Amino acid sequence: MSEKKDVLHVGIDLGTSRSSISASNGQRHVVESYVGWPLDMVARKVLKKPVLIGREALDNRSMLDLHRPLEQGLIKDGSEKDEAAVRELLWHLLSLVGADRESRDGMKVRAVVGVPAEALRVNKQQVRKALQDAVDSLMIVSEPFAVAYGLEALLHTMIIDIGAGTTDFCVMNGRLPTEEDQRTLTQAGDFIDDQLMRLTRERFPEARFSIHMVRTWKEEGSFVGTTKTPVVVTAPVNGKPTQLDITREMQQACESILPSLSESMLDLLSRVQPEYQEKVRNNVVLSGGTGLIRGLGPRLEQELQTVGGGKVKVVKDPVFAGSDGGLSISTDAPDSDWERLSG
Amino acid sequence: MKHAVANVDRIKRQLLRDLVEQNVDLIAGRPPRPRRRRGALRLSLRLATLALLSVALFGSSRWLSTLAEPRPVSAAAAFARNPAPPVSPARLPGKVPASETAFAGMVPPKPVDAAVFPLAVRRVVIDAGHGGTSVGTRTPQGVLEKDLTLDIAIRLRRLLEKQLQVVMTRESDRDVSLEQRGTLANQAGADIFVSIHLNWIQNRRSRGVETYYLGPTDDPYLTRLAASENLESGYSLADMRHLLDRIYAGVRQDKSRKLAEVVQGALFQSLGKLSPEVADRGVKAAPFIVLLSTEMPAILAEVSSMSNEDEARLLTKPLYRQYIAEALAKGIRTYAGVVEGAPEMTLAGEKGNPIQ
Repeated sequence: MSEKKDVLHVGIDLGTSRSSISASNGQRHVVESYVGWPLDMVARKVLKKPVLIGREALDNRSMLDLHRPLEQGLIKDGSEKDEAAVRELLWHLLSLVGADRESRDGMKVRAVVGVPAEALRVNKQQVRKALQDAVDSLMIVSEPFAVAYGLEALLHTMIIDIGAGTTDFCVMNGRLPTEEDQRTLTQAGDFIDDQLMRLTRERFPEARFSIHMVRTWKEEGSFVGTTKTPVVVTAPVNGKPTQLDITREMQQACESILPSLSESMLDLLSRVQPEYQEKVRNNVVLSGGTGLIRGLGPRLEQELQTVGGGKVKVVKDPVFAGSDGGLSISTDAPDSDWERLSG
Repeated sequence: MKHAVANVDRIKRQLLRDLVEQNVDLIAGRPPRPRRRRGALRLSLRLATLALLSVALFGSSRWLSTLAEPRPVSAAAAFARNPAPPVSPARLPGKVPASETAFAGMVPPKPVDAAVFPLAVRRVVIDAGHGGTSVGTRTPQGVLEKDLTLDIAIRLRRLLEKQLQVVMTRESDRDVSLEQRGTLANQAGADIFVSIHLNWIQNRRSRGVETYYLGPTDDPYLTRLAASENLESGYSLADMRHLLDRIYAGVRQDKSRKLAEVVQGALFQSLGKLSPEVADRGVKAAPFIVLLSTEMPAILAEVSSMSNEDEARLLTKPLYRQYIAEALAKGIRTYAGVVEGAPEMTLAGEKGNPIQ
């Protein structure tokens, strides 16, 4: 018999590409951040649902008005559809951990939602508006902060959270990060996908493939530097499935983000108080799905050599690092604080 | 060890307190509380130094305008060198009359060799013509220019925003004066300004595309067209004198013409393929106020003729509007020197040739 709880804490990482949820009842889930509404009556009849989310939406995209609500790390200004998409995504995530309105049975849901740093800076109110009705109490934090909190990397640490739409840099100094402690680049996973798409098209003009296929190729074979395993993918050429060796293209695409990545890392480091720079250099943490690119950590360590060397660690579980961090914040915050955040 | 754990707990408690306060402020709609930071002072000093240096070196904020044609630099490379955060119109500061800026009235400096400053196009302002009570022209079927320009502008933004920062002058059906459009573009620090309009040609059999940049004209047709587009300018006569001073300062004209040429070329090449009747009505100079009030290379593209029945019919098709947006995007990318990395995808449900 399970113990009945009055409060369910959830941490949610609302990402550009994937969103994850970690709940205090032990459940964790991840979904692709796509929301789609059937384009017309025919599509509605075929799909038998008013709205599709995640992989299901992606698989049926030709019949859907498909939205990726936090593309480039922002809720699109003035787009009600994107706000609605954020809401749908959140409700879906809550339903996965048994926290949707029907299953709650009087239980209160307290959520900490991590959003791309740029969304927090630019359209905080929109984010809150989109999320507030789904839970009883809500706290919004930036993704890199949630990651840092979950790892207890709160002092003299630099988090580099490389997602799909944005790369967020955040230096933790034992206080809430300010504008000065953070940077955001729009060069991230999507940028690599675009480069890989272009380079592969140039090399194999007769091959047919979509951006979604390219994204899957990247997730399976991304690397910087060298690799012993060639990256071979399959795509139709004149209708016939054909193997394509895209090792060189993959390397070039993945390395295309390196200059801005290392420049921002070194620039932010140079702004840390001099006495703490060495500590921060030795505590660089890579998170986010794109942070899993093979060889990226060592490559950034090479860049750190130019300023005296340092260490780059990759988060063990990047998919859930943000949502686990959010859950930690949620459970650590006292009831009195949560009461101030309700409604 | 005990000490380290206690330290982490103390930091966590402090962080949670700050985080809760930040979120309580957010609920109450209060702005973030200022922090006393050494860095803030440092930043202010840096900005002040930079401003003084600019005045000392160049004497005017218009110095950029006097540069010769910049060496093409890809936006991707530019981002790599100088990453800038995306700009949203919501973040733009309030309107500042041009006459009140620190640099107003200063003598234009001598031209500087552009090679000294490898400039790149990073930020584009897309201006959907008309809006709100300004409906523009309308097709015989009653479709309004303001709705079509907005649709094309939104499509264009989708196509460009992966490579360039895009600022929209409007994203909904609302009134925006020509003055506000120019001010927004200037305050956004835009590198180029593209205004989208649809034409009405007296000879209704005629269909074609034409692109304008700022300049005087003797053509009575263009004078009439400019007068009609300038109706809702929002400028007073006093403002006009200041604006007119800018026309003949040689500002931006070459770059605007160049931008107009590549966009017009892309429009004609793309739409001409779809229907051979589409005419290349060329690149023209005309005194549109919306171009006059901007401080960067600026063009006004008449992307179709609503007066022509075939064009009017095509404009009701989403795919045709997508083609127009893609042609505009192609022209802008060519001007910006951006590598065409992003796939030009049509939207879900928009497949095939709209002519068929």
